[in-house]
Amino acid sequence: MAEDLVLDTAIRDWVLIPLSVVMVLIGVLRYFVSKLMRSAQIPDAKLVKEGQVIVRARNLRAAANFIPPKSFRARRLYYSNEENGLLYVPKGQAPNAQAQMFSDPNMAMDMMKKNLSMIIPQTLTFAWVNFFFSGFVAAKIPFPLTQRFRAMLQNGIDLSTVDVSYVSSRSWYFLNLFGLRGLFSIILGEENATDDTQRMMQMTGFGFDPTKSLGAEKDGLDIVQHDWTMPKFERRAEAVLRKLVR
Amino acid sequence: MAGHDESETSGRKESEEIDVPIFSAENMQSNMKVIYYSRTFMSIIGGVIAGILGFTGLTGFVIYFLVMAITSIGLIAKTGFSIHSYFIGWSQIILDGFLGGLMSFVLFWTFAYDIVHIF
Repeated sequence: MAEDLVLDTAIRDWVLIPLSVVMVLIGVLRYFVSKLMRSAQIPDAKLVKEGQVIVRARNLRAAANFIPPKSFRARRLYYSNEENGLLYVPKGQAPNAQAQMFSDPNMAMDMMKKNLSMIIPQTLTFAWVNFFFSGFVAAKIPFPLTQRFRAMLQNGIDLSTVDVSYVSSRSWYFLNLFGLRGLFSIILGEENATDDTQRMMQMTGFGFDPTKSLGAEKDGLDIVQHDWTMPKFERRAEAVLRKLVR
Repeated sequence: MAGHDESETSGRKESEEIDVPIFSAENMQSNMKVIYYSRTFMSIIGGVIAGILGFTGLTGFVIYFLVMAITSIGLIAKTGFSIHSYFIGWSQIILDGFLGGLMSFVLFWTFAYDIVHIF
């Protein structure tokens, strides 16, 4: 009985398509609004310096095998010796990142703006969908699912006889919410995607602790097994040249 | 590994002698981004195609895997069949982001299928 459920074409024209289009447009709007609201913050000189030191140390680690052992040892000492190495952080001197974050009102403000720009449109759209389209069977997914998915796909319809593959309009909204991420990353560039992950990071982990990454980089540099590759490259060059000559 | 090759004079073993990974991380990342984009794009296109043609059930998912395989082949052809100058290994170009586009695929498949077929 559930198989021959006939849906009115008006539902397609006035529920399914408008809902999807609105979701896309709201995503685009949200992107531009959050871009406008993003305040250009002046980075802290000390943090930038530490970040650059980390990048330099990482470069050294990646290219360690291209310099002679003596040079490598000298550079490693420069970064990680226990007295004045660039990566060495004295024990009690590590600043509390969390406290620093709270003392900077700009940071908290920025975070709130970002969160708001995400939450407000979602709440509004959800309210809009609920108000206008509650109780419609709006779509049918083209593959069968088990009863377990009923709560997920037929949110807003309290009928246990309808086949599970029919989707209510409210659940179509949720499907759009998650499935359009890929489309956004194409039409808006990857800035959109990275923004999302950054937002996640800020919400959960409260940024990162620069001193911790300094220490990690120092440990990484300390355990590098240095193995100069230049002699091997000479052999390789010899082989290539011989091949050319032949 | 290269210990007994040291007296070799011919260039046959040259790839074994130098096993240092020599690549630039930024270029690598940009290549991965290209893979990710093409997969997302192809999964959306594939979803629309599967929906319009009216595939249901398992056939649709087969189409997804087919589309992903075609994408992989296309990417490999784009590298001129010399993967190692762009990526670390075969698995990277074939498997990375394989399931990432599934959500987009299902959404667009459902959308196109509903518009064309069920009403």
